[in-house]
This record gives sequence, structure tokens and C-alpha cells, in this order.
Amino acid sequence: MTDMDLVNVTGVSRADVEDFLYREAALLDEWRLEEWLDLFTHDCVYEVPPPDLPDADTARSFSLIHDERTLLEQRVIRLKKPTAHAEFPHSRTRRQITNVRILGHAGDEVMCTANFAVYRMRNGIDVVYVGRYEYVLKFSADGLKIKHRKAILDQSVLDPQGKVSIIL
Amino acid sequence: MTSQAPLVVDDRERGLFRVHRSVFVSEEILRQEQEQIFSRSWLYVGHESELRKPGDFVTRRVGGRTVIFNRDRHGTIRVMLNTCRHRGAEVCRLKSGNSRVFTCFYHGWAYDSTGRLVSVPDGDSYSASFDRTELGLHQPRVESYRGFVFANFSAGPDSLVDWLADARYLIDLVADQSETGMEIVAGTHHYSMRANWKLLMENSVDGYHGLTVHQTYFEMLMNLGITPPGTDGNRETGRGIDLGHGHAVATNPELGSPLMSPEVLVERDAHRAALAARLGPDHASRMVMTRNLGIFPNFVIVDLNWGIQVRTMYPLAPGHTEITGWQIMPSDDSDSMRRYRLENAMSFWGPAGLATPDDIEGLEQCQRGFASVTEVEWSDISRGMKKPAPSIVDELQMRVFWREWNKRITGTGYEPEGQPYDADYLRSDSSAQTGASPR
Repeated sequence: MTDMDLVNVTGVSRADVEDFLYREAALLDEWRLEEWLDLFTHDCVYEVPPPDLPDADTARSFSLIHDERTLLEQRVIRLKKPTAHAEFPHSRTRRQITNVRILGHAGDEVMCTANFAVYRMRNGIDVVYVGRYEYVLKFSADGLKIKHRKAILDQSVLDPQGKVSIIL
Repeated sequence: MTSQAPLVVDDRERGLFRVHRSVFVSEEILRQEQEQIFSRSWLYVGHESELRKPGDFVTRRVGGRTVIFNRDRHGTIRVMLNTCRHRGAEVCRLKSGNSRVFTCFYHGWAYDSTGRLVSVPDGDSYSASFDRTELGLHQPRVESYRGFVFANFSAGPDSLVDWLADARYLIDLVADQSETGMEIVAGTHHYSMRANWKLLMENSVDGYHGLTVHQTYFEMLMNLGITPPGTDGNRETGRGIDLGHGHAVATNPELGSPLMSPEVLVERDAHRAALAARLGPDHASRMVMTRNLGIFPNFVIVDLNWGIQVRTMYPLAPGHTEITGWQIMPSDDSDSMRRYRLENAMSFWGPAGLATPDDIEGLEQCQRGFASVTEVEWSDISRGMKKPAPSIVDELQMRVFWREWNKRITGTGYEPEGQPYDADYLRSDSSAQTGASPR
């Protein structure tokens, strides 16, 4: 147990985090990506480590994704265009988020984790991405914001998933 | 294959080139490819930088076989088939590590890092004819060029460097980017697509698809203040060049430097100035062009300056392909330059990049279209065929692949197309300092 476990100045509970994650999942499943982007802070990072090295530093390895705010915005702009061919027509997705745990608090930030199964259906082919999220959520006047969002895949080889063209 | 109808039509006189779509869907063609191509070609296994210390190993699939790619206790790079000589089990079940010995867990036969059989439990029970020295791990031919290690499962006499032909000059342009050597970055993109492997070989050197498939990527660059070549209306830039033996390159002026901070720009310019001083200005300016290099049958290097993708693809079925992608970069890059390269590489390449998924989508759509092969039998690859100097948006690069493929499968010979690779920049004195000197 560390010092940050002892201080919860934000008053954020696991139920609050669950509500937040479920709302975020619904925005993604409904392709409301601009609203999803609004959940992030300006100094945010969205990252997916290399599938063969889940513990790697995503900025210093050949990861799947290391998006700071600028690239995350470009990713969202792209995905909403019909010329983002891999996602036009859009995949249908359904996210199952479980095993939500608060790992600690530091000032106005909450560290938490959850398991995910993201189902992707397109062209009659169904695949599932399985893994675990790590979040740093920042508590502010307008509610929780995502400062850090990491999706760690359990699949080390993306067969049959192939693309990760959706947001995990 | 004997009196069958042609699979590739190469009409030089009329400037028409067609490929029969059965080659993408036929199980029989796949069987022939496995026998006549993947069992008899130099296949890329890995890069020497992946094995730093004696004993380091990785296991991976090459040409359908699983191999142990290792550096033995003496420092020699080896490729050994990962199958016990006793009953067949894989003797190494880890993806990577460091080991002096590989022990098959089934009955306990053990091999050292050179592949020699060093332990057989209860070995006294074998007859005098049982010869352990003949029962080491099987090792195909292995040769390395500038750090890139290839294996060949056939016994032929052809050397790797002869096989590479003019493609070696393009490998040199990658290998010479660092005086301390190039290195594979940690992290592997290992994924699949529902399309034939040859479609990705075509796509990897195809400039024609750039603005249509990657429109959103180019729009992203323009959103960030970059104007890439080809987006100003003149798409006929660069060159497609036949390098011999089915290898080809599409080479183009650089794409620009997206996402580059002023500090990294200073560093990039200093690195280029050092290259020009070391290699000569002609050589250095050739080096900063982009190059999409396809080495027959299934090895690709795509060097876009800010990132260098190394890629292999193998068929799992006619419509199912296993793809592996790595990044390689100068081992002496600063931390900020590494981060810059990786940020660009990740934003472009891989299953979650802003470009690769659209390539794969295009190839999977082609594969779906091949369901109509009975009615629509041919794909057309004629673009730029009668031009004296085909550009990157022409299709010479793909025709070069297909001619070698056709030779392997049907025995049909071919002549080169277009002007050969111009390596004039190597004639300047300073080039003697590189590994690219005559060999």
C-alpha cells in the first residue's frame, strides 16, 4: 500500500468509474467519436503496446498506437470520413467492460483498471479483441476526464483480428 | 505445369500485361508456390541486431516451418528447424530468450546452441549404428547481407548476394544510414489478412494506390502542414526500377517530415550533413529518397526516411496471409529522434496505423472480387508498360514480381523491363568508405 492509496480527495468511487467507462463504451459503440474525444484532457495519451511486448514503453517501441492529443484528433477526424476505407462502412462493435478496480489516487487523479472484450462485426466476419485497460482519470469541475488510456491486448498475434482499425 | 492456359500474359509489343485471377484462389497454385517458390528461395529470417549476445534466440515461422534463429555460443548466427530429430516435437517453445541448450520436453533429447545433439536420456539402449552426430537440428543454408539474414531450404549453389542482384544497392542505402549499424526496434506487428499473399507484395511497391487508398493519411499530413509529393496534381514522380530476379523498387522524392519538432529538425539536418560528408553528396541525396523495395518472393523494405518498415508475408491459405512487420532504425539515433521516427511509423504502419488498415481493406476487397473469377478472369497490370522511364504510379514494379513468379510456376522465361538501376553515386571516392563498395 502506498501513500496515494490513502488519500482520496476526489471522492470518486468505483461506481463512478464504472458509470464513466460504460458511458465511454457506449459513445464508441455508437460511433459518437467527437463526443468521445471530448472526454480527454489536452495532455492526454491513448496507447496500445506492441502485442508481443505488453509491458513495453509505447513511445520507444514499435507499438500499435501511441497517440498524444494531436494524433488522437487526427485519428478521430479520419475515422469519421467515408474515405477511411477500413471502417467504411463502419464496423459494428459491442464492448463488455468488467473487473473494474480503482488502483490508487494521486491529487485529483484516479488510477484504475478494467478488463475488456471488444466484439467487431463487419462483412459477415466477427472477431473479438481481449485485454485490459489502464486509465488515469482526472477529476475536474466538469467531471472525470481521461488523461491516460492504455489498452493492453492479450492477443500476441492478430489472427484473425487483422486490423485494429476501430478504437479499442 | 504443362500445356495449361497461361497464368501471366506479358505482351511487350502491345504493352499489355495480365494476371489470371486463379493464382489468388487456387489451392493447387498454393501447393506449387510452396514447392517451387518457398522451398527454393532465399527467405528473410531476421536481422542480426535481434540477436545481440551469444545464446540469444527467437523462434518464428519462415516458409511454413518454425525455426530457431539464434546466435550460438561462439557468436555465429544460425537458423535451425525447430523439430526434434527423435519424434518431431518443437524443441524450443519460447518466442525469444537466451539459452545454451534446447531440450525437447517430450523424451528429453537436448541440443546445444550450435544444434548438436548433446544428450539422449538412457542413450546406452541404442545400437552401435545409432549415430548422434547425424542427429543435430536440421540447418538450412543461411547467408547474411548487411545484417539481413536469409535462409534457403534447398541445396542449390546460388549465393544470397548473387540472388539479390541490384536489390543489394537498395539494401546498402538502408544499411549505410548509420555508422554504428541499423537495429530492429522492440515490438513486432504480427497480424493476418483475408487476402492472397501476392496482393501484399504488389501493394508494397505500388505507388498508384497512394492517393486513393491513403487519402485520409495525406489529408492528415496536410492538416499538419505538410504537402507530400504527388498531391500537387503531378503524380508521375519517381521511378519504378527492375532490379533483376523478380526484385523491384519504387523510389520517389521524400514525403516531407510530418510531426517534426524544431529540435528534431536540427538533428535531422545535422545527420544529413554528416551523411553527405561521409558518403558524398550524390550518395546522400539518393539515400534520402523514399524506397519501396520488394525482394522476391516475400520480403519488403519500405524506407520513408522517418521510418523504415521491414515486412514479410506468407500464405496460410489462398485467401489468408500471415504478415510480420518490424521497424529498423540507426542504432545511434538520439532518444528524441527515435521517438520522432516511431511516432510517424505508428501513425502510418501496422494494424492500427492510419494507412495500413486501408491497404489491407483494399486487398481483402480484391480477394472478395475474385469470387467472380469464372466470369472475370484477368487482372490488368499494364500501366506505363511502353514508357521509357516508368514512374512510381506505373506498374513496372509489379510486373517484375510476376515475371519471376511465372518463371517459377510455369517455367516461362523473361527479359528485364526499363532502364537498369543507376548506381553512379557509388563512383565517387567517398563511397569507398561504405559497406556498399564493390563485392
